[in-house]
Amino acid sequence: MRRSAFKGNLTMKKNPFASYSWYLYLFPALFFYLIFMAWPLADSIRLSLYSASALAGRTFIGFDNYIRLFTDTETAARFWGAFRNTWYFFFIHMVVQNVLAISFAFMLTEKTMKYSRIYQTIIFLPVTLAILVTGYLWKLILNPQWGAIAQLFMKMDIEKAIQPWLGDAKYALTAVALVSSWQWVGIPTMMFFAGLQNISEELLEAADIAGATKWQKIWYIKLPLIKPVIGIVSILTFVNNFNAFDVVFSMENANGAPQYATDLIGTLFYRVGIAGQHPVGIPNPGLGAAIATSTFFMLMIGVIAILRMTRNEK
Amino acid sequence: MGKKMFVLAALAMCLVIALPLAAGGSSDSGAKTKAVLTMGSWRADDVTGWTNLLTEYKKTTGVEIQFKPINPPDYNATLRLQLESGTGPDLMFARSYDTGAELYKLGYFADVSALKGLKENFTEGNRSPWMTKDGKSFAIPLFAVVQSVYYNKDIFAKLGLKIPTTWEEFLAACETIKKAGITPIANGLAEEWDINECFMMGILPSFTGGRSGRLSYEAGKTPFNDANMVKAFQAMADVAKYCPRGFEALTYNDSNALFATGQAAMYADGSWTLDTFKNVGFKWGNFAFPSPAGSKAAITFHADAGLTMNAKTKYPAEAKAFLEWLCTPAGATIAAKYLPNGFYPMINANIKIEDAHSAELYALIQGKDQDIRFTWPRLMSGDPSGYVLMNQGVISVMKGQITAKAAADNFAAGLAKWYKP
Repeated sequence: MRRSAFKGNLTMKKNPFASYSWYLYLFPALFFYLIFMAWPLADSIRLSLYSASALAGRTFIGFDNYIRLFTDTETAARFWGAFRNTWYFFFIHMVVQNVLAISFAFMLTEKTMKYSRIYQTIIFLPVTLAILVTGYLWKLILNPQWGAIAQLFMKMDIEKAIQPWLGDAKYALTAVALVSSWQWVGIPTMMFFAGLQNISEELLEAADIAGATKWQKIWYIKLPLIKPVIGIVSILTFVNNFNAFDVVFSMENANGAPQYATDLIGTLFYRVGIAGQHPVGIPNPGLGAAIATSTFFMLMIGVIAILRMTRNEK
Repeated sequence: MGKKMFVLAALAMCLVIALPLAAGGSSDSGAKTKAVLTMGSWRADDVTGWTNLLTEYKKTTGVEIQFKPINPPDYNATLRLQLESGTGPDLMFARSYDTGAELYKLGYFADVSALKGLKENFTEGNRSPWMTKDGKSFAIPLFAVVQSVYYNKDIFAKLGLKIPTTWEEFLAACETIKKAGITPIANGLAEEWDINECFMMGILPSFTGGRSGRLSYEAGKTPFNDANMVKAFQAMADVAKYCPRGFEALTYNDSNALFATGQAAMYADGSWTLDTFKNVGFKWGNFAFPSPAGSKAAITFHADAGLTMNAKTKYPAEAKAFLEWLCTPAGATIAAKYLPNGFYPMINANIKIEDAHSAELYALIQGKDQDIRFTWPRLMSGDPSGYVLMNQGVISVMKGQITAKAAADNFAAGLAKWYKP
């Protein structure tokens, strides 16, 4: 964009609009952004103020959907339950997925590391698989009757250790979050890897000459320098987790079984706003939009907070 | 030059975007010369059966009806769109209760109350899923499914077990099977719906006094947490220890597989699974959920699909004739022949079923008090719905987290929030 504006200034000085011709390059992206992103977003915020049913049509009801969402005991319990679960889900991703990713990245950028490419491929491989497939595979692996883990425990003669991991409220959400972490760990690994490779050799050599230990180099040089990457990774994790739906849908069901233990904002929204509660299946798009809008504002606050925390002062 | 290109590109883009819109409008151009009716349905799996049935009908009457099913999850939405735009089928499957009644209220479904044979050949219980509150029928009952217990005859023979006739005998049989090292019951909890719809609502009519018992709960004469309801929840708590290891995490397909591979002796499921076990390597059959000693046996014969005609059809006489034909025992018999096994006509006549397993299952409902699944008629439309409350209650008692009494109390308390008799 910059370059085109620059060129325009040089060659077509006479045309006063020429310096703005770079807007044209923005137009296709802007057009699709407006049609497919901005407009639906605005419309769903609008929808959250309406009651939508086929018989009554769309009627404006002000903030009734929000009042119901936060004050009706049943609805509020579901919403805050999903809210809590989503934070836990996010927490597991931060602790397991991102810490693993940063450790992998340190290992992969170590000069003494051999076959780094192969390990990169292995770590990245699950990302390329569809979550519906991996979710199903993990469901099979964790199956207490014929799953691989159950078989292994049987062979080791510790049948007592076989638990219905996905059917017990104590373990289900952790299990699902770990599977999701396993699936996506490749992406933050690659981002940290790229960030670490950008650190100049001179800096590290200077540290070596000054007698810094390996830990000191990590703590005082590498980590501060990839702080913006940590910020971006945190934001991506945050946003993806608050939109997560597919991993629960493939490993449990849209109800967040067992007993709402894996109910995330994403599954709650799907159940209320899109599919409707089984078996009646009459959705409430207005209430669903209220959930989506509330989530949107929470995400916005969260993203701004993370950005502020991890921004590198200039 | 650049601007021109841009305008051209923009035009092309608009065209591409608009194209699908134009394409959508040009489907469905009905033949005007001779009466060809269309039938909408969500049974996309049964095209062959329905086509054969409608060919058979054409042979005798000369009226051609084309079967045009829609992918099951999209049926409600697609049918509504078709009806709103005036391109709805002449005949169509109707969902029971509120979902179907709404389309009648909107004026899309015809009033079929006066059809010949409808009142005469169907019980009120079987007609009611497609009736409005003021007693108008908006569809004829088409088929229903039975909830029962599949059992492995070989295992029963080996252990010298007979078909249990009371709930107590059923539990005793479970104990015997468990002692022999076989999993007594294949059911699991992971998918939630199956334990509720197939098991709990399968045993309920026998525990709560069948149809009249349910009506009494709904009328407010019996509290939803009465002794019978507690007993039913207790029954579910009692079977938990006979379910497979890790049943909390077993899905519907896992249960199917456990029974089909002979690893579990019994399986509480709907009649729609009948054909799944066609080629298993052991003898099997079905028995009705036994009632507790002293209670009258009742069975869940769940209304699944109704058939109705478009209020604005161009061929009202032909459509009506077809519906009336299905309301005769002769028509229902031919329909049963072509419908897949496990989906039974609801007509009040003992229809002859050819498939042996299917006939055995159909025989179970004969002479018994029949009722729909407990929560379907009145307890679905509030929040929390009776279905959800019952489902969570059953799961909690089976996991041993709450007592049957507490589950029944929660059920009643949740309904009290919105349900008015």
